[in-house]
Amino acid sequence: MEDTRRGTVTSLASLFPVEEAQKAANRVQGAMAEKRAELDHLLGFVADNNNLINLVHKLPEELSHEIMVPFGKAAFFPGRLIHTNEFLVLLGEGYYAERTSKQTAEILRRRGKALDSQVDSLEAMIKDLQAEANFFGQTIAEAAEGLVEIREDYIEEDTHGEESKSGPLKQHTSDLEKTEANNEEYTRMVARLDELEKEEELAAESGNDNEIYEQTTEDDFHKSVSPVDQSNNKSIATESAEKHHNPDIADQLNFASLDLQSNVGEGKNAAAKKVKFVDHTGKPLIHHEEKTVKATTASKSEVQHQPSQPSFDSHKAFTGSIVEHTENLKTLNGQSSSSTSSQVSGSQPSKPVSRFKMQRR
Amino acid sequence: MESLTQHKVQRYEEFVDRRLKPDLQHAIDERDKIFEQQKIFTDLRRNIENLEKNSITSLRTLVNLGSEVYLQAEVTNTQRIFVDVGLGFHVEFTWSEALNYIQKREERIAKKIDEYNQLIASIKAQIKLVLEGIRELLQLPAEKSLPERSF
Repeated sequence: MEDTRRGTVTSLASLFPVEEAQKAANRVQGAMAEKRAELDHLLGFVADNNNLINLVHKLPEELSHEIMVPFGKAAFFPGRLIHTNEFLVLLGEGYYAERTSKQTAEILRRRGKALDSQVDSLEAMIKDLQAEANFFGQTIAEAAEGLVEIREDYIEEDTHGEESKSGPLKQHTSDLEKTEANNEEYTRMVARLDELEKEEELAAESGNDNEIYEQTTEDDFHKSVSPVDQSNNKSIATESAEKHHNPDIADQLNFASLDLQSNVGEGKNAAAKKVKFVDHTGKPLIHHEEKTVKATTASKSEVQHQPSQPSFDSHKAFTGSIVEHTENLKTLNGQSSSSTSSQVSGSQPSKPVSRFKMQRR
Repeated sequence: MESLTQHKVQRYEEFVDRRLKPDLQHAIDERDKIFEQQKIFTDLRRNIENLEKNSITSLRTLVNLGSEVYLQAEVTNTQRIFVDVGLGFHVEFTWSEALNYIQKREERIAKKIDEYNQLIASIKAQIKLVLEGIRELLQLPAEKSLPERSF
């Protein structure tokens, strides 16, 4: 163990202070309550509209109807409804149209459609806010239970910019917007991923790949991640993998780190998008989701566009490392869910790493 | 001493903001509601007087079915009118009876408005009082220091 690991331990609570996260969560709750009230209001309108359509439909059945005719707000006259097929409909801005029952029903139906689209958009917004609230809730829980971020330098033999990594990365703890420092790592990973991809094509385990993609997509979506985390976790993974410990210890380390890594991989995917997520409170979540889904489905083609989509490549790395070894294929098949992937990748601590090293340029 | 006065000032201000001002708002809202009712009955009275004056026996109106969709309606006999007397009841009146009732109703409404006006005035007075108290507190320290110096 020649390496001197420089590391920092930051509690998640310092990154996302509990009170602030709480306030943000409350704000989101307030906004959600408002939207729900609006939604109820709109639904009331929709119900009224439907009732009116029925009424308009039924009225012409009789020549006249006995009713109580209102006279102002506090008095009635007994009277009759006459000309039951002639309706005066307000079109807005003081313009009225005299229509028959059928035509009025059509007008009301069109109004109902407009209302429905409004309801849909409101519901979508509520969903977004819900996801945001979940995110905050998770953050609060994690910060409260004292989740700690451990960042260590990734020490590699042929390094470029390895040391600079920890520096700029540390700066990024609170600033999710800058992804520049990650690019060095990305390029490095990308090179590795290239080689892995070739091996992958040989192995041709696309079915498993997709599974893992989906799992990692979901995992990541729920984790609060900063790009820094990812690179550091990877460093932990490879680092521990480098050392030829007992497979058990390495396994465990890798379980944790690669578990995070898988999430982190997605996180990278999401990093650029989460930037928006955190900054804007509007629709970014839908945006985000679409992108993660797109990422999973458009797997192979994207690897070529390396520098521009490093986040996506992290998927590949993960997958590649699982696919390589036959012994792991057995375990992969035998088990299910994300624990599999982490276990699988964990059980091969040294081999993929050594391969990486050998094939490095 | 300074901090004590500051503390007091803060408490007074909080009292004003939290209790008195919302109370004032509430009272004003209630009074507005009563104003509306008063207006409704005044309008109704005027209409009935109009009907009576022109001896209108039958009437054609447009009835709102909801969402501003109107339908023609005819009132053949305007002699009988049903007036809302509260608690969901409507009483059948002739014109003169209706006018009588509306008169009495309007008197009651006017009384209520007076009550609310008084309440609003008292709340405003209380607010003014507290604000004056705060002002005194803030001025007193300055006034005290002067005699000391002249001493």
